[in-house]
Amino acid sequence: MKELLPDIDRWRSRGEKVALATVVATRRSSPRPVGSKLAVSESGELAGSVSGGCVESDVVLAAQEVLAGGAPRLLTYGITDDMALEVGLPCGGEIDVFVEPLE
Amino acid sequence: MTLFDELRPVVEGGGRAVVFTIIAGDQLGAKVLVREDGSTVGDGPAELAALAPDALRAGRSHLIEHGDSTLFADVFGPPPRLLVYGAIDTAEALCRAAKLLGWTTIVADARARFATAERIPSADELLVVWPEDALAQVQPDLGTAIVVLTHDDKFDVPMLIGSLATEAFYVGALGSRRNQERRNELLRDAGVAESDVGRIAGPCGLDIGAESPAETALSMLTEILAVRAGRSGGRLKDAPRRIHAEPATGKK
Repeated sequence: MKELLPDIDRWRSRGEKVALATVVATRRSSPRPVGSKLAVSESGELAGSVSGGCVESDVVLAAQEVLAGGAPRLLTYGITDDMALEVGLPCGGEIDVFVEPLE
Repeated sequence: MTLFDELRPVVEGGGRAVVFTIIAGDQLGAKVLVREDGSTVGDGPAELAALAPDALRAGRSHLIEHGDSTLFADVFGPPPRLLVYGAIDTAEALCRAAKLLGWTTIVADARARFATAERIPSADELLVVWPEDALAQVQPDLGTAIVVLTHDDKFDVPMLIGSLATEAFYVGALGSRRNQERRNELLRDAGVAESDVGRIAGPCGLDIGAESPAETALSMLTEILAVRAGRSGGRLKDAPRRIHAEPATGKK
């Protein structure tokens, strides 16, 4: 969290809202531990990571929906996911990511 | 003030707190921040504060099934601390490597000529003290690793005896196998229990063929990480188990 603060401050000082995605659970192997965070600005800038790049592009879409007024969302990624070919995890694990507005 | 604004000084100051978020169930997204002193902020059910002591003790973020809801307990705490006794060149290399991991580094030595900021620029804290005072000032806890580099019984023995009386998750000492055995006899003579003598990682470090101070520091630091995760520290290609570790309880 601490390492995300400078970017979050910069975005908020520009008047942008920020969404936060957090790894809340992992099953089998996973690239980032529980608690890892990705912050997404309204204009689509990123800080931090939830998977080392494997699923970030999809998380960003969800983050922008949340910032547009959508409800917080719990997303699951992994090899059992039908999106596996597009946004799967190379480790063969599964992660749950909670996406919410930062407030 | 938003919950984030309330959390921020805790995170920046290395304090302890837990944020409960309802990630499934009624009141999706509701949160409660509970500080170590029990004070709370947030729009989530106030009763969640009762879960905070256990969550903080667990020392790492985790899910909790609570009635019909699923909670994410996001646990915030200070980074691990590395306490090095003996301000030699390997101490600087160890601190530099530990800083890369975001750890807090403390170097102590009774010899003022050794414990200088010029020699050890990567130490967050430099203490010119004898072992007993180093331990009294640093107060090693479950999140502290201690490495003794002095190679000198008059420092090593009191530092190891004192370190073994703390909850430090790692106590390591430099020195050849023969020297370790000789020093361990001194510890036993001083009344240290065999189980405590067995806690000492000595000679400390993983067997990676380290030679330079920087290599030796990496060898030690990787052993410290392995001990913290409850791993033996071999090659992943030879490991039968899953690659990613859950950090052991209370040692985030």
